[in-house]
Amino acid sequence: MELAIITGLPFFLALLLATPFARTSFSKSTQTVITSVVMALLFAGLFSALPRLQIEGVITQTMTWIPSLGISLSFYLDGLSLLFGLIITGVGALIFFYAGFYFEDAREYNRFIIWLLAFAGAMLALVLSGNVLMMFIAWELTSITSFVLIGFNGATNADAREGAFKALFVTGAGALALIIGLVMLGAVVGQDLYPDDSIRFVGDFASILQSQTVYKHEWFTLIAVLILLGGFTKSAQLPFHFWLPGAMSAPTPASAYLHSATMVKAGIYLFARLSPVMYKNELWTSSLLTVGLLTMLVGAYFAVKQNDLKGLLAYSTVSKLGAIVALIGLPQQSGLKAAFVAIIAHALYKSALFLVAGAIDHATGTRAIDQLGGLRSKMPTMFWVTVVSALSMAGLPFLLGFVAKETMLDAMLHFDGPKHQFVMVMVVVVVSAVFTAMAAYMLIYDVFVKRPAQSLHFHQPASWIRLGPALLALGSLSLGFFLEPLIIPILELAVPKAFELRLFAGFNEVFFLSLAILLAGLILFLLRKPLIRHITFPFSGDGVYREFIAYLEWAGTTVLHTQSGFVRYYLVIILGAVAGVLIFSGKLSDVIAGQQFFPSDLSVTITDLAKIFMLVLTVAAGVLTVVVREHVKAAIAYGVIGYAIGVIFLIDHAPDVALVQLLVETMATVLIIIMLGRIRAGTRLKVINSLWTGRHGHNFGLLRDLGISILIGVTVFVFSLISLQNRPERHSIAEWHLTNAKAVNTDDVVGAIVADFRGADTLLEIAVFTTAALGVLTLLARGRKRGGGLTPVKAQVSALPEFDLDVVDEIQDATSLSTPFTRSVSFIVLPIAILIGMAQILYGGNGPGDGFTAGVTIGLAVSLWYVVLGYNEAKNLLPWFRPALIVRLGLIIAIANALFPAFVGRGFMGHVEYDRALGIYEIVGSFGLHITSSLIFEIAIAIAVMGGLGIIIEAIAYPTDRSQDLAESQDAELK
Amino acid sequence: MIEFLFALSIGTLFGIGVFQLLRRDLVKAAIGFAILFSAINLFFVAAGAFEGEFAPYVSNVEAGRQTSDPLIQALILTAIVVSFGSFSLVLGFVNIISRRYDTVDSNDINKLKH
Repeated sequence: MELAIITGLPFFLALLLATPFARTSFSKSTQTVITSVVMALLFAGLFSALPRLQIEGVITQTMTWIPSLGISLSFYLDGLSLLFGLIITGVGALIFFYAGFYFEDAREYNRFIIWLLAFAGAMLALVLSGNVLMMFIAWELTSITSFVLIGFNGATNADAREGAFKALFVTGAGALALIIGLVMLGAVVGQDLYPDDSIRFVGDFASILQSQTVYKHEWFTLIAVLILLGGFTKSAQLPFHFWLPGAMSAPTPASAYLHSATMVKAGIYLFARLSPVMYKNELWTSSLLTVGLLTMLVGAYFAVKQNDLKGLLAYSTVSKLGAIVALIGLPQQSGLKAAFVAIIAHALYKSALFLVAGAIDHATGTRAIDQLGGLRSKMPTMFWVTVVSALSMAGLPFLLGFVAKETMLDAMLHFDGPKHQFVMVMVVVVVSAVFTAMAAYMLIYDVFVKRPAQSLHFHQPASWIRLGPALLALGSLSLGFFLEPLIIPILELAVPKAFELRLFAGFNEVFFLSLAILLAGLILFLLRKPLIRHITFPFSGDGVYREFIAYLEWAGTTVLHTQSGFVRYYLVIILGAVAGVLIFSGKLSDVIAGQQFFPSDLSVTITDLAKIFMLVLTVAAGVLTVVVREHVKAAIAYGVIGYAIGVIFLIDHAPDVALVQLLVETMATVLIIIMLGRIRAGTRLKVINSLWTGRHGHNFGLLRDLGISILIGVTVFVFSLISLQNRPERHSIAEWHLTNAKAVNTDDVVGAIVADFRGADTLLEIAVFTTAALGVLTLLARGRKRGGGLTPVKAQVSALPEFDLDVVDEIQDATSLSTPFTRSVSFIVLPIAILIGMAQILYGGNGPGDGFTAGVTIGLAVSLWYVVLGYNEAKNLLPWFRPALIVRLGLIIAIANALFPAFVGRGFMGHVEYDRALGIYEIVGSFGLHITSSLIFEIAIAIAVMGGLGIIIEAIAYPTDRSQDLAESQDAELK
Repeated sequence: MIEFLFALSIGTLFGIGVFQLLRRDLVKAAIGFAILFSAINLFFVAAGAFEGEFAPYVSNVEAGRQTSDPLIQALILTAIVVSFGSFSLVLGFVNIISRRYDTVDSNDINKLKH
């Protein structure tokens, strides 16, 4: 449980800070304190698990998540997770504190901190998850949050957009490989642990790490390659390293946190996590070693060439990541200790350097190394932080980086491969270390000591900004002396075998090698000006990436040539393809074969005759919608279809459905007709006149459309005939509802199903309906001022070219439908409709009508006002009718009503009898009422539907095109 | 017999709806869209597991009367309201298109490509 809380807390905090309340009422400094204190508390929480881990070795916690699929939310804490968790929270606390002073704009800061918190949560979930699938989800979450953070200034900065896309593209592609590899791994482990089951996925780390034979499995090579691809892309290994320098467009706290201390180490975490089951395979270790060493060398080499301060740090991070990967790849896991020490040391010194770079960027406005200089006196703290951190990076005794370098050299020296391999490894390691030392001297001298080329702009950042880097540097400085109490206990849990770790192991070969490297670095540093010019590299991952993207774009444009751009033809192709498949696959004829089509029994009952009449009416009206010229007539013919179907519902003893159908069809027909008024008559006339003539004098298109629709119509006919003829006699589900509806205190079984048995379905349906209504609103309410009414304001209208100022008065007036008679009718109808609606809700249990009909009834009466009185007058006379609020009210009641039973132990959307609970069952019962959760849900449905209809009708009545039409007709008259 | 006629009407209505959608007139296409919904609802009511002489009320069931299928009715009930919502959205689209392109002829609109 507590691990779940540790993981969830950053997400929760992110959501909290994203609320408008928090944004306005918490000042920037409050948010800074909250976030950094929370991260520090998480650090303490994780650290407090250390004693328990020392006894138990592993802490696992499992919460059921989707038990039917065997997926659980499981957490796994061992030494490795603890190490990463402490880095994430510890470095995180300092960076969250730093970020509060890095950003000056409070809104920007808030936006940043929300995403950084989300990242921290995702990263913690990644290292604490006890299941490969959960880890994968967290893995992807870190990629996405990283994408957002790199592209943080994407609105104004094209580099940021490109860098963000590049990072997401590379890590996302790697993740695709990773998920396949992880699923295969889970299947292999399942086979290993449960040989009797045919296919069983076992994804929890506890089981995976138990499995002993995975490396012998025939799939192993593929699994290893896929997982390696995932880790290499994430941890910026060659040839995928290029995304990391591109990610430097991110705000510096994000670079320090994601792209140095934590996220880029996710791949390393994965390798280390799976190492116990994978290391026995030659391919696994040699790939890690080779790729890691190459990355280490190339990264170190490129770092010194960078002129951008953050670019230098990025490449040196790439180099260090390569070194750690190579250490994990050493045979027999002999490099794990060195890898973990390097992870800690690197997190400390590199974050500090990034934070310094950010402060310099902030203070001087540049990160170009050749322009910087002379900052020692202006930023003394930052200077000393850089000295300590850079020298730790170079490996000066007795900083933490020195311990890391010693252990690394020691591990590499004990590499017991073939002689020539050993020499290669040592050359690469030593050369890389020399370049790293050179980069470290450059950081100190070129940025802080040398004279700047021209005088720099400088303003001192807030003094608190120094705290984070200073503490990190203090860590680099002192942790070497506190190996025993602080570092070793954690490493003992993470490293599988016994080991020694000392600050100073004596004047042995390793120590002298270290010194030689420092000296060689110093010589290169002195010669750097002529040297750096010669640094080139024939091959660049970034170039390949660019080529690839260019190819994708070319392919996209090529495919685009086949597109006509006419929406209708896409539909023709899709439906035509469906029709073609139906004919040519022979499916249609297969289905037809053996079916009796023409009924043998031609007898009909009287009710059947009525139905037949209605069906004939339906089809005739359908044909009419096609053949009539005028749109209005087609709309009315459509209305006839709806009414005829409504009558069929009535004949079929479905009074509720019939009522809704009739009401809704009325509404729909009215809607089409109003809508037609909003489209210019000339526009419609044009299409009406040209509808039946082909474009080039021949009517091939008409025949084609006719053919396709006949085919689809025939298919639907065959399908429905077969399903109607073969339907089961009595359906058990329907029977069940009929007999059990009594349990929810309603007489109306349909109402019981809608409001109770299938209540979750209905809840979603009203959500869909209101969403559609909001869609109409967004489509039609153009030019609406934020938070204002829909009425066009004169000043606003004149800015829109489609309005004429003269027309505005016209808009404000009622339309010609407003006669004294229609007005009085609409005044009378509304209260009656409201009464009818309330009666339908309250007594819907005993007769036709329910929440839907009530909502539509009231909605219709309101729409009558809008039609008769016009937008403005209706709006003035019905000030309480605010559809957007009503919709919200309806949905809130519905959701609260659905959630409440869950809190009293009845489950989501359970049935609660409020009247019995309150002891008023007899009293309300004497009025024929039952106050239950179903009744409240019906009320919520009615309110939401009414609000949705209100939104639609308001959006439609909003007078834009009417004015346009009038303007057009006035123009025509003038001519 | 009545099943055959129902199926025939459903097929015809569906064909009409598809035909309207395929034609160039967007207003009629919207109407065709709504006709498709009607055809589907008609199919549902015909596909009810059983027919009865009485509306599906508990009181009718207890009185031993043969009621109609309540489940299918509940499905149609919500479907009607939702299809109305999407229909109004389609009308909104037609309206916006007519405003932006000054046409309701889908052959005049080929901006999807760009």
